[in-house]
Amino acid sequence: MRLHVEHTTVYRYASPVAYSVQYLRLTPRSGPRQTVIDWQLALPGPAQYCTDAWGNVLHVLTLDHPHDEISIHAHGEVETEGDGLQAEDDGLPPLLFLRETSLTGADAAIRDFAQTFQQAIVQDRQAGLGLMMEGLLERMPYEGGSTEVATCAAEAFAGGRGVCQDHTQVFVAACRSLGLPARYVSGYLYTGDSTHVASHAWAEVWLGQGWLGFDISNQRHPGMGHLKLAIGLDYLDACPIRGVRRGGGQEAMQAVARVSQADQ
Amino acid sequence: MHALALPDARHYDEMLLASGAVRPHYQGFAGWLQAQSPEALARKRREADLLFRRVGITFAVYGDEAGAERLIPFDLVPRVIPAADWQRLEAGLRQRVMALNRFLADIYHEQAIVRAGVVPAEQVLTNSQYQPAMRGLTLPHGIYAHITGVDVVRASDGEFYVLEDNLRVPSGVSYMLENRKMMMRLFPELFARYAVAPVAHYPNLLLTTLRHATTVENPTVVVLTPGQYNSAYFEHAFLAQQMGVELVEGQDLFVKNDYVYLRTTAGPVRVDAIYRRIDDAFLDPLAFRADSMLGVPGLLSVYRKGHVALANAIGTGVADDKSIYPYVPEMIRFYLDEAPILANVPTWQCRKPVELDHVLQHLPELVVKEVHGAGGYGMLIGPAASQAELADFRARLRANPGNYIAQPTLSLSSCPTFVESGIAPRHIDLRPFVLTGKEICMVAGGLTRVALKAGSLVVNSSQGGGTKDTWVLEENGSSTPGDKSFLPV
Repeated sequence: MRLHVEHTTVYRYASPVAYSVQYLRLTPRSGPRQTVIDWQLALPGPAQYCTDAWGNVLHVLTLDHPHDEISIHAHGEVETEGDGLQAEDDGLPPLLFLRETSLTGADAAIRDFAQTFQQAIVQDRQAGLGLMMEGLLERMPYEGGSTEVATCAAEAFAGGRGVCQDHTQVFVAACRSLGLPARYVSGYLYTGDSTHVASHAWAEVWLGQGWLGFDISNQRHPGMGHLKLAIGLDYLDACPIRGVRRGGGQEAMQAVARVSQADQ
Repeated sequence: MHALALPDARHYDEMLLASGAVRPHYQGFAGWLQAQSPEALARKRREADLLFRRVGITFAVYGDEAGAERLIPFDLVPRVIPAADWQRLEAGLRQRVMALNRFLADIYHEQAIVRAGVVPAEQVLTNSQYQPAMRGLTLPHGIYAHITGVDVVRASDGEFYVLEDNLRVPSGVSYMLENRKMMMRLFPELFARYAVAPVAHYPNLLLTTLRHATTVENPTVVVLTPGQYNSAYFEHAFLAQQMGVELVEGQDLFVKNDYVYLRTTAGPVRVDAIYRRIDDAFLDPLAFRADSMLGVPGLLSVYRKGHVALANAIGTGVADDKSIYPYVPEMIRFYLDEAPILANVPTWQCRKPVELDHVLQHLPELVVKEVHGAGGYGMLIGPAASQAELADFRARLRANPGNYIAQPTLSLSSCPTFVESGIAPRHIDLRPFVLTGKEICMVAGGLTRVALKAGSLVVNSSQGGGTKDTWVLEENGSSTPGDKSFLPV
């Protein structure tokens, strides 16, 4: 399926910012399940291109003249394929994805939750993880606005509600507590409904030969509607935009991401 | 005259034999000491305190409001190391640091030592100090640990053992330099007659090492400090001043278009090498801890492009982790094909069930340490522990064995030290500083730390330890009893 993405993020500041720097993980890579046809970033200044620890495309945008707005626009077309049931191996050592982060630490509650699925997972890893995915959404129904970007897995789990970011981080924490390498995926989701927020997150778990995706919020494995942007240990490690600024006062952020089926 | 209290026969004393006789390399000093009146020495001690306080006040100009700076007690009796002992130590340190650097280059590239089955993959890859961002990165000259502080102790058998390798941001070298300056000022006659290897050129060697950390010709080098509230701030300021380079904080640096710049009154200046005294986690808030105000946003991206050098490199902590320490002798064999010159302290890895059993059975005799701990926190000293503490640690060991290692309780060597009652043996360790640049170099000696409480084995300054000047004698430099020239005139 050929997906067309338009993703605009605008930051506005109450007073001028003297200097800002952003790490942008806003460029998808081609892989077994997706082929990038065309992709462009429109930025307010020159950005340096590199890759990060996980091979994600990373742009570094530095602005050192006074500015009261930063507008970041990504758009392009990506061909996706497959039903998502095929595990992929990208060559990164799975053991690296056992480490805890401040956002994905498993507390006793998450460990206990994970334990209840351990037997099922030992018997059949994929099916057992499917059960855990079901169980997690039951424990944490989707509710927009119930958490914040900085909410960690344990806090979100205790609150019993969350969005895709929380579902993913709790699932990743639960898997790691069972000794299963797991990671955070940031990307886009095509639902056919253009009013739906298209920025999305899901988890990938190492199954022994490759990584398999688990979209907890949507109770499925990623399919043709899932477009992968970046992987990481947690939200902060994979998120599309991470920045620091000097000055600027109050910040207002507006983000719009639309995914549609491209005209062939 | 001074009554030299005899050391306990169960440990090695640097100056005295169990019989009370003075070891040959200390005889000159002992003779001099006996000739000093207690009053004169008491005066010298007061003078030293005053001078150090004055230096301390100079350092405190940068802000002592937090009370972070205080004097670390200085002892007038030097720790003297015979030339032959130092030669062996130095050879062992060179060998060890070389192997550790090879290990770091290996685990961030081909991981030959893992594939050979010498070090288990999970010990490296799941270690929180292993930095994935370093994988595949090629550093100038392949050097990761430019500055290493190796903690060495002499056990009751008279042999040196390595207690710990410090490859992150080892500190203490400023005390080594200041202690020598103090001794030379108080007792110039000792240095006129005792051939003590110099240490004052350390800042020169350090600068040469930092300049070699980059391939840029005529590089701009800076010292990056977390700021005045850091306990080692005066050392950062001291070293920057001694090297004649800028002392900067994170906010003085910025990243633009793939390079790091220093803000100056004359405009931005490109920075090529950073002697950073900030832990990995705080270096770049966009890559590591987001709440860090100490680092430079974007620094990691510049580093990964090879446009700035960091000393030490990011991710060196994996090699000095206590879970990796037991493998260092194997590393030396693996990378250098040599037998280790310096011994490790025997270590039980509690993650191995058989070794855990041994530890649980012998807990009252052992020292148990957290794998990722440092600074003497979270450890159990079996012989000094109460029943309740032992029971608590047994439970902790059973709950999370992989988090602990255990070692025999080493009896550190002692050295005569001024105490209230006169001069008595106190336990000491040694931290030599090893620099890796074009070649491995070090000044002879290092920082000797002393536990000031009788019987205590804890030398950490945070826990009441003091320091001594460390004398490495140059060949034929030791005086003998018949050396009349040594006696005060």
